[in-house]
Amino acid sequence: MKKSNLWSLRLGFSGKEAAKIKKIGLEKFLKKSYNSKFDTQLPAFLQDWPKTIAELKEYNEYVKKLDREERNKIQKKATNTREELRKWWIAKMQNEEFPLREKMVCFLHNHFVVSSNKVTTSYWIYQHNMILRENAFGNFKEMTKQMVKSNAIIKYLDNVDNKKGKINENLSRELLELFTIGIGNYTEEDVKNGAKALAGLNNGDEGAVYRKNTEDNSNKTYFGRTGNWKADNLVDIIFEQKNIPYLITRKILKWFLYDTPSEELVKYYGDYFRKVNFEIAPLLTKIFTEEYAKDISGNKIKDPLVYISQLIDELQLKDYDEAMIVAFLKQQGMDLYNQVNVKGWDGGNSWLTSQVYLQRNNTSDLLCSGRSLSKKVPNMMMGEENSKPKKELEKREVRINYDFEGNNKTIITELSNRLLFTVNESMQKDMESLLKYDFDPKDPNANFAVIRLFNYITKLPEYQLI
Amino acid sequence: MNRRNFLTLTGTFTGGMLVLPSFLHAFGTQDSLVIGEQCLVFIQLNGGNDGLNTFIPYEDPLYYEFRTKIALNKDAVLGKNKGMAFHPALKDFAQMQQNGDLSVIQNVGYPEPVRSHFRSQEIWQTAADSNKYINEGWLGRYLDLQCHDHQPTAGINLDSIENLALKGLEPNTITVKDPDRFKIKSNKENEKLSDNPQLDFVRKIANSVVEGSDDIQNALKQSKTEISYPKTGLSKNLEWIARLVKGNLNSKVYYTSLGGFDTHDNQLSIHERKLTELNDAVFSFYTDLKQAQLLQNVTIVVFSEFGRRVKDNGSGTDHGTAAPMFVIGGSNKGTILGNNPNLADLDNGDLKHQIDFRSVYASLLQQKMGFDYSKIGIKNNPVSGLF
Repeated sequence: MKKSNLWSLRLGFSGKEAAKIKKIGLEKFLKKSYNSKFDTQLPAFLQDWPKTIAELKEYNEYVKKLDREERNKIQKKATNTREELRKWWIAKMQNEEFPLREKMVCFLHNHFVVSSNKVTTSYWIYQHNMILRENAFGNFKEMTKQMVKSNAIIKYLDNVDNKKGKINENLSRELLELFTIGIGNYTEEDVKNGAKALAGLNNGDEGAVYRKNTEDNSNKTYFGRTGNWKADNLVDIIFEQKNIPYLITRKILKWFLYDTPSEELVKYYGDYFRKVNFEIAPLLTKIFTEEYAKDISGNKIKDPLVYISQLIDELQLKDYDEAMIVAFLKQQGMDLYNQVNVKGWDGGNSWLTSQVYLQRNNTSDLLCSGRSLSKKVPNMMMGEENSKPKKELEKREVRINYDFEGNNKTIITELSNRLLFTVNESMQKDMESLLKYDFDPKDPNANFAVIRLFNYITKLPEYQLI
Repeated sequence: MNRRNFLTLTGTFTGGMLVLPSFLHAFGTQDSLVIGEQCLVFIQLNGGNDGLNTFIPYEDPLYYEFRTKIALNKDAVLGKNKGMAFHPALKDFAQMQQNGDLSVIQNVGYPEPVRSHFRSQEIWQTAADSNKYINEGWLGRYLDLQCHDHQPTAGINLDSIENLALKGLEPNTITVKDPDRFKIKSNKENEKLSDNPQLDFVRKIANSVVEGSDDIQNALKQSKTEISYPKTGLSKNLEWIARLVKGNLNSKVYYTSLGGFDTHDNQLSIHERKLTELNDAVFSFYTDLKQAQLLQNVTIVVFSEFGRRVKDNGSGTDHGTAAPMFVIGGSNKGTILGNNPNLADLDNGDLKHQIDFRSVYASLLQQKMGFDYSKIGIKNNPVSGLF
């Protein structure tokens, strides 16, 4: 695989940015990604939903008074809004000029996990998502502070129930175990005292605020230091601990490069992360530029998002409904804002089971033959006297990019360079029997033959890896 | 993963709960001698098999005039019948014909012939006119209409790549790259490892995901190889197909291929070798099925994307047009259909076709599968006198 294609897949979701990376070089590409603007406009589907605490209260009172039918209706609307939010985000991932920011947001949303099943207020999920977007290349320590005080996290990790004299340890524990330093680096006392420091931190209009009557203003000892600590103090203290940089650094390496990064690399980049005071951009620059120079590939199983985005990009599908991607991700165990538990997706080998693999193959078959993943037929096409089978009706044209001036071998090389991290003899032989030496790229039907070749490639084990 | 959702997403998954579609009844439960469920076995000869040196007009002086370097000796050819005879390597083809189990259909081709391997195979596999394009194969279209929803083992393709002929809108065909893979489930962990543990992991999964492989395993359990097959690729494939048929897998279509027929050079020895491989493999398969009293249920079809130029180019032949097709088993009439090749009336040095290959397809679909061939867009009339 060409380096620019490999890194387009690593830093984005498909091969879409390969030409850009090749043209401006990796470092410039990274800089432009860090400086990329993003949309801060509240999406239309959230306009009508309550946002402030007062509005939420009023809304809840209103819903209580509704009869069952009306209430079901409104719940259905809420479910749709959660779906809209996923589609809104996926559209960003697919369309951003520099998708690295969205790739980071996706990574971070799997680090600071919240589930929209539990956090049903979509505006809070949106807030959570926006904090990650704003801080994607910022300071990890500051981001952690903001996350702890985000409405979504407060709700998801039950801190709404954490009150003076009636402590709930959930947020305090996950702050240590999953968000920052990791298990084995703190004591149960730290968890308890951290929870006291977080007591009374409850949902507010733009983020969580301490409520006077439920906060705990006693002195707490946290990692050996005593004081009337509050949320920000906890984060400051944690980030002074020796082992703080490694958990997040390991996860970054896993997300972008290696399913099983060596501890040596984790320590090397982690120490640097501490040195740059937990600034994310310099860490990413160091990791990406140094790993780019190494010429290593095939160490990471594609996640479902990359798998489907690459298919869509390669087949040049236009005007598809993002719901198709939402559904695919869900079936593949990568439902956005709906991780099974607070630990998030494990990634690596857990992305693939035989059922998931089979589904990937069948998805490729369907998309390559111009069919959509859902069996719905557009209404306008359901003509009464239409004698064509439904399957024909839902078909759409798919194309794939290749050099029309070439021959079978140049096209095979072109596709391999774009899609496969390694090619062996038997693959090459198979590909040459799919596109024979007298294949004519200018033949009217040539596109379909190249799509068959592409379809073959997508089902290879080698294609699953980047 | 939520299985129900998984199934509805694409509607093409049956997971482990395969249900036989209504047309697939086990014919093991029936008396084998009664003509019950039928299946088709295609053997595609890749590269363009030289028909004139396969089924030879040994009495035509023009044959010897055109082919000064590569004509076969009239004393060596076998199974002489109305001026035609088999290549000496096809001794068992001659035998099968004598047994009344093999028909030859002469001068099969199509109008406006294309001499590109790639395109001509596409035409044979899609049953399209030579200036028309269809993206699904003729057998794929047939299976789409025959199967309810989808049936992953309705077609079995033994090849390393998928076959356009079997490509339909629904995944009704399994491509099995290496029949030895079937044995994996017998606890053999002999996967060759690379130095990349992630790749090894994915390969292991990839090997386990052939949809319908449980059905295949069951069919294999219920059958064994009763005769000894030669040790060639085609033989191995046919041996496995025989086991699947005997084990009541009840696939409608099996497809496999043999390459190496593109004999531009050094034709005599290459062709002899390839035809020997074909002969030995097919005859073993035939014998196996005959012993199992299943030959009447299995129709074997041997064809190639085109024949070769009438005049030799020295020691070989260039791409040509019409050529004979062979049909074995399936209670065919065991005759020779069509006129002998007319070497005096050529089109730019190539034979003019007399029977359209789609007429043969029509005949197979109508008479063996009980299927209306016009539903998949075939307009040619069936060949008469084949079954």
